Amino acid sequence: MAKKPAGPQMFIANRLDDGRAVFLTANGEWTKVAADAAVGQTDEEVEALAVLAHGAEDANLVVSVTAIAADTEGNNLAPAHMKFAMQAKGPSVRLDLGYQVSPNWEQ
Amino acid sequence: MYAYDTYDHAIVNARVEEFRDQVERRMKGELTEEEFRPLRLMNGLYLQLHAYMLRVAIPYGTLSSNQMRRLAHIARRYDKGYAHFTTRQNVQYNWPKLSETPDILQELADVEMHAIQTSGNCIRNTTTDQFAGAAADEVLDPRPYAELIRQWSTFHPEFSFLPRKFKIAITGADEDRAAVKWHDIGLVVKQSDTGEIGFEVLAGGGMGRTPVIGKVIRDFLPVSDLLSYLEAMLRVYNEQGRRDNKYKARIKILVDAMGADEYARQVEAEWAKIKDQPLDVPEEEVARIKAFFTPPPLPVLDNDVPTVNAFADKNFLFKAWVSNNTGAHKVPGHVHVTISLKPHGGIPGDATDAQMDLVADLADKYSLSEVRVSHEQNLILPHVAKKDLPALWEALDAAGLGSANAGLLTDIIACPGLDYCSLANARSIPLAQKLTERFDDVKRLMDIGPLKIKISGCINSCGHHHAGHIGILGVDRKGEENYQLLLGGSGAEDASKAAILGPGFDEGGIIDAIEKVVAVYLGEREDGEEFLPAYRRLGADVFKEAVYGAR
Repeated sequence: MAKKPAGPQMFIANRLDDGRAVFLTANGEWTKVAADAAVGQTDEEVEALAVLAHGAEDANLVVSVTAIAADTEGNNLAPAHMKFAMQAKGPSVRLDLGYQVSPNWEQ
Repeated sequence: MYAYDTYDHAIVNARVEEFRDQVERRMKGELTEEEFRPLRLMNGLYLQLHAYMLRVAIPYGTLSSNQMRRLAHIARRYDKGYAHFTTRQNVQYNWPKLSETPDILQELADVEMHAIQTSGNCIRNTTTDQFAGAAADEVLDPRPYAELIRQWSTFHPEFSFLPRKFKIAITGADEDRAAVKWHDIGLVVKQSDTGEIGFEVLAGGGMGRTPVIGKVIRDFLPVSDLLSYLEAMLRVYNEQGRRDNKYKARIKILVDAMGADEYARQVEAEWAKIKDQPLDVPEEEVARIKAFFTPPPLPVLDNDVPTVNAFADKNFLFKAWVSNNTGAHKVPGHVHVTISLKPHGGIPGDATDAQMDLVADLADKYSLSEVRVSHEQNLILPHVAKKDLPALWEALDAAGLGSANAGLLTDIIACPGLDYCSLANARSIPLAQKLTERFDDVKRLMDIGPLKIKISGCINSCGHHHAGHIGILGVDRKGEENYQLLLGGSGAEDASKAAILGPGFDEGGIIDAIEKVVAVYLGEREDGEEFLPAYRRLGADVFKEAVYGAR
């Protein structure tokens, strides 16, 4: 299991059927747009999000639920680490194709 | 090519139905991810950063045109219109849906393909020379033996849960184009003083975080003893390989710890116990398998073809392509052709569905319907008449497949890196793209000459950076992509480990550093001296000074 990140946290996972990277929102849904993710600022908030996230995992909606550090400094909320930022953006190559075309990877 | 018998069809089709049931149970929630994960991995299905990834086996890199057409169809129907040929002569799809993978596997089974043993701690796809059965310098066609190993290792009950994954490579030529010394087991065809054919056997090679070049444990193994000897080698490893630490579980660690001589002694002792048991297949079965690989009935033709020469005189890029991308065939008047999957600004190893269909059509027209995949992530038409080269090149070039860079600086191996792979620390593909853009002039590339650049996005070394004349290793340095520069590696018969030159660079810096390395080589080389011999003669310091400045 990954080391627990410090500071504000968000939850990332992959959808069960197509594996798409998605982020947990405040109402327990999963979004492709990292900027719409819920951020836990305190241990209590993170724990509450974790309950929602793992509930979705138990319901077979998503897999690989992971708490990650959130970058809340810029204009847009985003994952702090480059690997998770890459998941939020899609590959930096084949920009002629599907998911990679949209800045928010919404296609 | 080998054709499935009823047994092959039965086991592959049974596996598809088994996996279909497993996927359905997973989708319904009857299997948890923890339960399902090892099952999907046994069928080549990984979960990557953005989607699932399906790795399909291409046994010893050999495809028929019909199989290639099916790969194109799968890319079009189930993926995003492209596929990625890998450094293990396999092919990967980056965007399949879990629920559709049983259908993909059925599509593959229908053309005698599968994704078995492309993951997990088992014996993986045996790799070999991409020019097998075609190259003029070949001593023995290794494919029948690779096929024997495939049949022996598929679902081998004793070796399905090894300490770690296990890779075997064979070369049937003196020039090692299969990087056999970098494999868990390497087999090099040799001829004894009496003319008998056999293998030199190496063990304990491997890349990853601990690069090791395999050591010879037997000078000569008769081909008839191949499977029983491999059984003995795997047994010793299976019993004594470490299972407490996955980073120390490969056979290279075991062989290093006990010493190659002691490993060889234990293998010989084990072999003595089992060699007379019916492990090696009867001669008639070997003959049956060999019959699938009999040399094709090519006519002997003139090597000098005036029409081709005239076309080359008018077209420099064609002339360069013939020089770089074709090689001597066993049958006069023919060549094997390397179709470069490294176009200007392209992704190493990627091919679109239309390109794969075209290669299949061209294989039918010019190469007896055969295609090969190389560990250097290119495609090969193994049996092409020289007289057909102009028409073939024009068709390839029109589809973006005519790059004349095989074996040159821009014929780069690169792993998928952080653009796709969940293990990666840095991106590999954009570096390869930028290098093909920086070194875009074919005349300049040919002046530089043979130079192998290999890029890995993490220490797992899927991009073979340890074996690169120039290797690049992507690392995560305080949350930023950083690239280490290595020089002096080789995956060939003169295998060597590349050494890190100095501190790492950012993306722009590593491209500039390579430019400086190349400049040193061009300035210091002797007449006809290629990059690797020049590096070995000059040593690292002159390159270090050029890249990092005087200290």
